[in-house]
Amino acid sequence: MSTSTRTVIATTGIALLSVIALLPFYIMVVMGTYRNEDLFTQIVLLPGDYVMENLKTVAASRFDLAYWNSIVVSAISTVLSVFVSAFAGFAFAKYEFRFKSNIFAAVLLTMMIPGQLGLVAYVIEMRYLNLSGSLMPLILPWVANAFGVYWMTQFIRGAVPAEVIESARIDGCSDLGIFFRIVLAFIFPAVTTLSLLVFLWSWNNYLLPLIMINKPEMYTIPLGITTLGSAYRTDLAAQILGLSLGTLPVLVLFALGSKSFIRGLTAGSVKG
Amino acid sequence: MNAAKRRWVPYLFLSPYMLFYAAFGLIPILFSFYVSLTSWDGIGPKTFVGLDNYAFLFNPDSYFFQSVGNTLLFVAVSLPLQMAFGLAIAALLYSKFVKWKAFFQLINFLPYIVTPVAVGLMFNLLFDWQAGFVNKVLLEFGFIDEGIYWLGEPLYARVVIVLMLFWKGFGYTMIFYLAGLANISKDLHEAAAVDGATGMKAFWTITLPLLRPVTTFVAITGIIGGFQLLEEPMLLLGGAGMGSSSAVIGGPERCCLTTVWNMYDTAFGSTTRYGLGSAIAYGLCVIIAAFSFIGTKFYKEET
Repeated sequence: MSTSTRTVIATTGIALLSVIALLPFYIMVVMGTYRNEDLFTQIVLLPGDYVMENLKTVAASRFDLAYWNSIVVSAISTVLSVFVSAFAGFAFAKYEFRFKSNIFAAVLLTMMIPGQLGLVAYVIEMRYLNLSGSLMPLILPWVANAFGVYWMTQFIRGAVPAEVIESARIDGCSDLGIFFRIVLAFIFPAVTTLSLLVFLWSWNNYLLPLIMINKPEMYTIPLGITTLGSAYRTDLAAQILGLSLGTLPVLVLFALGSKSFIRGLTAGSVKG
Repeated sequence: MNAAKRRWVPYLFLSPYMLFYAAFGLIPILFSFYVSLTSWDGIGPKTFVGLDNYAFLFNPDSYFFQSVGNTLLFVAVSLPLQMAFGLAIAALLYSKFVKWKAFFQLINFLPYIVTPVAVGLMFNLLFDWQAGFVNKVLLEFGFIDEGIYWLGEPLYARVVIVLMLFWKGFGYTMIFYLAGLANISKDLHEAAAVDGATGMKAFWTITLPLLRPVTTFVAITGIIGGFQLLEEPMLLLGGAGMGSSSAVIGGPERCCLTTVWNMYDTAFGSTTRYGLGSAIAYGLCVIIAAFSFIGTKFYKEET
């Protein structure tokens, strides 16, 4: 078999396999372009022409508010988490201090603890602090992120040369100045990766908003999507279009950053 | 700056992490343990009950072990499928014969990053009794005479969940296998080719054994992650109103109740038993810790 024949066979094979990944998305998008009644009577394979009408129905439910809330929550979580992680990573990577290895081991250990362990008390804590019903409870748990600390420590250790820090210190730069002026410049790729990860984790979170948020105008996207059903109980097509609108834009965004994102996910699994 | 002052610098850099972890991680974990020793609805007075909640986990009425069993079953069936399929795609993508690698990698990774809530709802749509794509296709080709009630029968509901987890997860195993493949030295394959091992033979005798650490890692993280399963089955079966008629906790006969779903429902859903909910969380943590412990031992032996 010639190389070009093999290329055609292998590429066709992978294309067919990829259909499995795409088919549910495709059906979702297509179903959102039909009139509700048609969904029950026929198999819909090609896009319909009812998308604008469905769009009007969805727009009436203030879906944009859920987008805004999700963006606010995820953006703040990401910025705080990245800074706090980078601070801690800098300390672990470039300083010597007592109990350093013990503290680092303790941080790694907390990575193993499932997030649900403290959930009940966290909810009570938020009520006690009068924060329930606000967006704060959805942000606070992401700030101290053990994976972020691990990731930043590894990266800063390898990416920031000790000589650069030393010469800045000799020039009279403060430790905080070193962090902001020098370290941050070296760790840009790590910041991108961690930002994407935290943003996605926060964006996809459902359990906390489900427990903490009860006002529809405070809903984040996952809550907004699940309540589409009760918003137009009889209009399945509009619900499906809402589902597409709530999932696909972010998917596209992450597709653009997937390389950096995957690097973070696979970090630590493969030696070398 | 003098040396005595400098000693504090690393602690200052660590302090934001430590403060936030203490306030919103550690304190809730410790307080949850205390709550697990009480009977409490979150509003009225707490009654100290000792280990009663933990003892109740062994009572079938708590659904604890049933939910652990359900969760394990889902992981045990879907994870091997995810790994085999993920490996196959990764191996194809890594071969020199496939074009547009980055594109196909991305496509197959998409299901993993889509909001879990949406995954549950999408599969709810696909397997809806009336409007679902799957029933329509089966009817059209005459495989069945009337729509299958996928989400109403325990066995079928479990099949749908396994399919859903498989669909969502194979892209995740794929990226790990791709990272592992990239790590295997090319010389090894060239040496094998000189010795006459090519194609499938080289894959089985050289590549696959070298990927064992990756396989172990994916299996461990898959099991641990699988134990935290919640949104997908909850939205698939919980009936957010998308087509399905009634909201049943855990699906038909609770056959699809996962451990975290059970915890949510006990503390914040159909009952507000905070003490029992916390005990479920601690019980789950112990089980995850056991699997992590065994898994880490395996992983260390292999690397």
